[in-house]
Amino acid sequence: MILDLHAHSIKSDDGRAKVQNYCQWIKARSIPIDGFVLTEHRQFDNESDYSDLAAEFGVTILKASEVETEYGHVLVFGVTPALQASFDFGSINLALKDVIKACNAHGAVAAPCHPGRKRVGMSAHLEEYGVPQGVRIVEVFNGGSRDNEDEVAQRMATDLGYLGIGGSDAHIVSHIGRCATRFPGSIHNEAELVAALKAEQFEAVTFREGEA
Amino acid sequence: MTISKISEVEFGETLPAFQPDTTMPNVRRFAKAAGWEGGRFTDHDHARKEGLPGALVPGIMSQGFLSAMIHHWAPAAQIKNVDTVFRAPVIVDQVYSISGVVTDIDLDSGRVEIDLTVTNEANETRVFGTAKVLLPI
Repeated sequence: MILDLHAHSIKSDDGRAKVQNYCQWIKARSIPIDGFVLTEHRQFDNESDYSDLAAEFGVTILKASEVETEYGHVLVFGVTPALQASFDFGSINLALKDVIKACNAHGAVAAPCHPGRKRVGMSAHLEEYGVPQGVRIVEVFNGGSRDNEDEVAQRMATDLGYLGIGGSDAHIVSHIGRCATRFPGSIHNEAELVAALKAEQFEAVTFREGEA
Repeated sequence: MTISKISEVEFGETLPAFQPDTTMPNVRRFAKAAGWEGGRFTDHDHARKEGLPGALVPGIMSQGFLSAMIHHWAPAAQIKNVDTVFRAPVIVDQVYSISGVVTDIDLDSGRVEIDLTVTNEANETRVFGTAKVLLPI
């Protein structure tokens, strides 16, 4: 199963895509993914229920979050009410160690995203803060990467022994599915996604032009 | 092929490719007309002294290119909104391409939403956004 683990909808301040249009696009353009995870910035979308859309289009739609730490942005999979109560998702000054600790306590997974990016990526902060404890997974394919950002991310993952995931980081409809993560089995909900990530059997894939 | 009314539009349709003229003479013409003749738009050396990678194509000029692309595709379109996110600088004298695709259609109102992406020669996104346009019903 292939899931785009990093996408934003109009629920994010800089997101311009409606979830229904993501679904339509995936089908109309035969994008080779089975679903996507909505990782809205600095929040978890408790309100939206995409189960009808998922059924209509035969696409898996899951929800997660993208939070902000001193090491840059971090995807959080497996968000629960208890996890939301444990730290302020809206803060732009979270401590990565606190996010990881909370995720571990509540059965979630934290994964720094676009770690090769200046300012908002983890690698840019290693010299200042050192190698953080507890990171196991980082995003090594990001559909919005420029220059050599993905190469920096992959080199860092290799050097530090991290596993890699992929996500499009789509903010507009036509960018969905540019990068994704392939899992060996089916995933139907957030709990199964967390279990699959913890099983550590996945690979990052890219469908960007010239790289597929 | 140009579009004249909403019924001719299909979801997922790709607009004709558009390569904007981001050469220095054209940017200088725009900057002069807009009253933005500061060196950061019209002089690479000046821009680099400000810490920029080169002279910048003004953001409103990039938005103008996006609008021009839409009107090349649908001359009768009323552009209601062009909403852009600037992810990286658009540098004068570098080659860019603009792509556009239809991502939402409302046949009743004639409203179409279009994804717009400005990419450089490495196919990296510099600017992305969406446009809402009205087409004759």
